[in-house]
Amino acid sequence: MFLRLLYQSFRRQQRRKLLSGIAVTLGVAVATAMIAVGVDVGDKINRELRSYGANIVVYPETAALDVRIGDQQIKPASPGSHLRESDLPKIKGIFWGHNILAFAPFLETKTTIDGRQVRVIGTYFDKRLRFGTEEFITGVRKVYPWWRLERGTWPQDDSNTVLIGSGLAQQLHLTWEQASLAGLGQVSGILSTGGAEDFALVVPLSLAEKLANAPNAVDKIYVSALTKPEDAFARRDPDRMNGADRDRWYCSPYANSIAYQLREIFPGARAEQIRQASQNEGTVLAHISGLMLLIAIASLVAASLAVSAAMATTILERRREVGLMKSLGATATTIASLFVTEASLLAVVAGLVGFAFGIAIAQRIGQVIFHSAVAITPVLLPIVIFLALLVTIGGSAAAIRRALSLDPVVVLRGDA
Amino acid sequence: MSLQRSMFIHLLKRGLVGRGNRPLIAFVALTVASTMIAAMLSLYSGLESKLNYEFRSYGANVTVAAPDGSSLPEDAVRRAEASVPSGSLVVPFAFAVADSRNRGGVVVCGTDLSRLRRLDSWWLVSKWAVEPEEALVGEKAERRLNKTGEFFDLDFSGRTVHLAESSTVRTGAEEENRIYISLPTFERWTGVTPSLLEVSVPGSPDQVRRTIEGLQSSFVGMEVRPVRQLLQAQGAVVTRMRSVMLASTLLITLTVALCVFSTLTSSVLERRRDFAVMKAIGSSQRAINALFAGEASCIAFAAALIGYVLGSGLAAWISAANFHAIVTPQISVLPTVIACSLILALFAASLPLVQLQRIEPAGILKGE
Repeated sequence: MFLRLLYQSFRRQQRRKLLSGIAVTLGVAVATAMIAVGVDVGDKINRELRSYGANIVVYPETAALDVRIGDQQIKPASPGSHLRESDLPKIKGIFWGHNILAFAPFLETKTTIDGRQVRVIGTYFDKRLRFGTEEFITGVRKVYPWWRLERGTWPQDDSNTVLIGSGLAQQLHLTWEQASLAGLGQVSGILSTGGAEDFALVVPLSLAEKLANAPNAVDKIYVSALTKPEDAFARRDPDRMNGADRDRWYCSPYANSIAYQLREIFPGARAEQIRQASQNEGTVLAHISGLMLLIAIASLVAASLAVSAAMATTILERRREVGLMKSLGATATTIASLFVTEASLLAVVAGLVGFAFGIAIAQRIGQVIFHSAVAITPVLLPIVIFLALLVTIGGSAAAIRRALSLDPVVVLRGDA
Repeated sequence: MSLQRSMFIHLLKRGLVGRGNRPLIAFVALTVASTMIAAMLSLYSGLESKLNYEFRSYGANVTVAAPDGSSLPEDAVRRAEASVPSGSLVVPFAFAVADSRNRGGVVVCGTDLSRLRRLDSWWLVSKWAVEPEEALVGEKAERRLNKTGEFFDLDFSGRTVHLAESSTVRTGAEEENRIYISLPTFERWTGVTPSLLEVSVPGSPDQVRRTIEGLQSSFVGMEVRPVRQLLQAQGAVVTRMRSVMLASTLLITLTVALCVFSTLTSSVLERRRDFAVMKAIGSSQRAINALFAGEASCIAFAAALIGYVLGSGLAAWISAANFHAIVTPQISVLPTVIACSLILALFAASLPLVQLQRIEPAGILKGE
């Protein structure tokens, strides 16, 4: 009998069920989309912020003190020790290797052009490297996306072509047509960075090693990594922690712990977070994620209220039905359980549809705005269905109680 | 005519307050919708300036540098402050290479220490220097110093200055190679005047670019440069977040509106008996439409006002909790909220009215 009532209720009142179903579907869809986007927006914005440049630097422990004002090297840096270029692919092999978006090694030396001392900066542009079975491409074009070419093309790594800084090109009165430098090979482009590189030659690392007569050598490595905002725990010294804390610290993607892991693969090196990037990134990220989270919560509450209102209306519309059932001898429990079962069925079915819609919306937002998919945790499904159940049953409860409290005689006569 | 009008007002009043809590559901639903619309619009309109403000913590976004080996004009700070928007921060820097008692050269930088602290609050410093004889010492520069306790001496072309270290500086960048002292002390000691201004300009990347143009015209011959990576990151993040917020605003508004729509439609349908009675005793279709529209408008207007207040409160709370910034309610949002609420209510009322027009009053009254 109960099942038949349930079945008939869905068969006969298709319009009403459709309306409340649509309300639940929409509510669940928006909640799912907002939560999915809100949870993932931190990661997405983190990647956007990486366009700021490197956030970790690695250099030899014994690096000489740099005595430099602006672009002028006051005292030539004494030949300090170097890092080994052949160790570079290992960077991808550290515990948080997947969080390393890109890195660029630098080796600095000097050369003379027209009797003038010129800084030469060797680096990777778009270097293809291999670690184990994994191939990846890294270099300044990924680490410093704001570097621009005024003319020409980027040089090939391992070639003898070079980039000339825009400021240096002016100082040397070099026009694009006659741009070839004695002993250095072909100029492939004019570089503009807004920084010290504008007054230097930027060349492939292999060429700089030849010029400096320092094979397999690197001065500094700039690393761009996805990191977690720093907190009090991140600032602690790992060497003074107990085992469990140390493991937790080591396995959190803090800038500090990634720097620590980098130190392990370059013997005699120091690795440090670049505080301007990492600190401020943390603040911006925390605020953006917080904003999205609060909006997700607010939209959840709003969707709940809207769904509750829709449920309450449909049940109040069915006062006569309640009156009839009551006068035929149904107990309040039977009637209430019928309504609750109906609401639950609606919540689960509409919730599933809404979840699918929500994911589609979230993916659309991800594709259009960030050009990448939004990561969705499977945990979201049970949470969302549970919320849908809670909201539909909760929204119905008051209306059911009210419908039950009415005298069947009054309702059936049509006076209520 | 006047009788008709007073009757209309009487009916409207009865419809709004004389029916127990029936209009309440419609009112609550519309209030929820208005609240969300108002909150999202307020947040959206304030978002860009808040995000731009966040990026100020990175430090300077514009630099003004004198050509190598020369200094900036004497009134450089004042001149710069005249051509940047209010709320900007201009910090002068002067550089010299001092000798550290048989340990080689080290770069010393004279600057306005209190402004430096505001500009570069992200430096890892245990105690910022304030006194004229205090110095902030870069972590790598410290190895060059010949310190007794916290005190050390530096020489520059035969003149000595006696300084006390207030803290080391850790930044992970070239600041660690330098020693920072107060500008008046530095100038008395070396006679060197500032050659670099670091400027933090508030606002969007476009506003910063306009400020750079202004600075270029007041510093002819000097190099005025944007800190390009900062503007790039800021531009990227602000654009993306603006789009995310726009999408969220549309999504939430639309959903809440649709959910509310079904509730409103039902609340009008519920009153088909009133409708039938009015029609049976000879009221015109127009009068009935006007009555229902009047009711819906009154509810929608009240809901919009309350929703605006609640929504502004919600937006203010979200900003305060998240950005620690106080936001004033955006009055420009109010017309949009009222318009949305009215359109929603009238549209939701008109659908069932059209449906009811086709039905004979007698049928409804008989209870079919």
